[in-house]
Amino acid sequence: MFVLEVFISGLLSGVMYSLVALGFVLIFKASGVFNFAQGAMVLLAALTFVRFIEMGIPLWLAAIMTFGVMIVLAIFIERFLLRPLVNQPLITLFMLTIGLNYFLEGLAQAVWDAEVHGLDIGIEDVPWVGLEQATGLLISMFDVISALIAMGLVIILSIVFNKTKVGRALRAVSNDHQAAMSVGIPLNRIWVIVWAMSGLVALVAGALWGTRLGVQFSLSIVALKALPVLILGGFNSIMGAIVAGLIIGASEKLGEVFLGPYVGGGIESFFPYVLAMMVLFWRPQGLFGDVIIERV
Amino acid sequence: MTATEEIQSAADQRISDEVLMSVRNIRLSFGGVKALRDVSFDIAKGEIRAIIGPNGAGKTSMLNVINGVYHPQEGTIFYKGKTGLMKPHEAATKGISRTFQNLALFRGMTTLDNIMTGRNMKIKRNFLWQALRWGPAQREESENREAVERVIGFLEIESIRKTPVGRLPYGLQKRVELGRALAAEPELLLLDEPMSGMNVEEKEDMCRFILDVNDEFGTTICLIEHDMSVVMDISDRVVVLDYGSKIADGTPNEVRANQAVIDAYLGVSH
Repeated sequence: MFVLEVFISGLLSGVMYSLVALGFVLIFKASGVFNFAQGAMVLLAALTFVRFIEMGIPLWLAAIMTFGVMIVLAIFIERFLLRPLVNQPLITLFMLTIGLNYFLEGLAQAVWDAEVHGLDIGIEDVPWVGLEQATGLLISMFDVISALIAMGLVIILSIVFNKTKVGRALRAVSNDHQAAMSVGIPLNRIWVIVWAMSGLVALVAGALWGTRLGVQFSLSIVALKALPVLILGGFNSIMGAIVAGLIIGASEKLGEVFLGPYVGGGIESFFPYVLAMMVLFWRPQGLFGDVIIERV
Repeated sequence: MTATEEIQSAADQRISDEVLMSVRNIRLSFGGVKALRDVSFDIAKGEIRAIIGPNGAGKTSMLNVINGVYHPQEGTIFYKGKTGLMKPHEAATKGISRTFQNLALFRGMTTLDNIMTGRNMKIKRNFLWQALRWGPAQREESENREAVERVIGFLEIESIRKTPVGRLPYGLQKRVELGRALAAEPELLLLDEPMSGMNVEEKEDMCRFILDVNDEFGTTICLIEHDMSVVMDISDRVVVLDYGSKIADGTPNEVRANQAVIDAYLGVSH
């Protein structure tokens, strides 16, 4: 029973990792760039959200307004950072996101502040009573609801990516800028869309993580949790981010419980990286990544 | 009528007097390098127009100017009587499709998806409708799918429909790229060295496709090619560039006899 409980709560916390990883995957899919600034975007979104709420703005309106801020940010990023760098090597764009990371961290704390803010989005972090009575399992209601929210977001994103014109355009842009433009895909608009989408993911991740940890600077470091998820799942697979998040979540909790005692505990923090590394030996593109095609 | 006359009169029917695109006094330089020096020519509706010239003559630059990858320092381009600088994606929406000298395909996507991107701008319904796959969006998707299937049938690439293009041999990749350009149902099709790197058989296939596209769909084609013999066989009129300047313009026979062209290709002792 205890094992099952650990397993389930691991899965649910894994969903939270997936959420952060998803933000990376979106931008990677559409531009081939690892967005180092994703953590800072989570921080910015969460801080903006929490400060709007503290101003007395209703929850739903604050969420929409924060999304608006993230859209404006996306437009700025496209106009002033990406547009001048069209057709530059990917490493240049990667360096750019490192700079952007520091800029956004600073901006978020300069505009708002660097205090720790409690965030209450109306879901209590208490055991799910119904489930406890029925099965005896102690599972946090908050975990369940955030897992549902994350799943909803994922379903929407995968439909948009795989079944629509915009999604096809996004995939096309990630493959070849020149070719994408030649078939009439406006690169600039696509970039705004994808950065806005990843802003939305950052907002959801920020709100959920912020509720759990409090909105503070360390939220930007949560992004590091996404790294092993990305390696495990593959950088360009939405599905991969989800499944890998679940695997990492469950395995790090189970690992802590079963292997932890033999090595003095505390393996939760590095276990995901070990797991990710082992997967790399076997599948360099990750579990769900696009197969690497190389013609010699 | 002799055979040549017959061919000539068939060509006359196909090609109208209407000018589809007119390129006027284009000058383009990159720093000190003058890529194009005062180049002018026009493309008649329905013809196959070739741009030839030795390496570095400015052929690809010319094509890039036409679809808006480069904006020239001087000169104008009239397309369907209208002027104005276009960006590549705007050119695409106005009916100008192109292929690239060094393949520009979406390597990770399948043949079908690649060609489908060619129809992206034909899809009018917004993505919410599409995500729901409902009503008009559904119908639109299947219409586009049919158009893509026609292109696939036309280019005889049914068997590789679901293959990621990165895995295909070079000749087939070139064909997929042509398919993507065709899927947009262009009025003007720009082909940048469609036959480079191909073996004889692949070249013959490609020639046949180019002629068929022109013949069946009435698409105007502007192509760049290295291989003189190929160009002379399939094109109606030829522009010859050398060091960024136009040195000849006319029918294949006229161009072949032109002393400046012979000098440019064979080299002269100065």
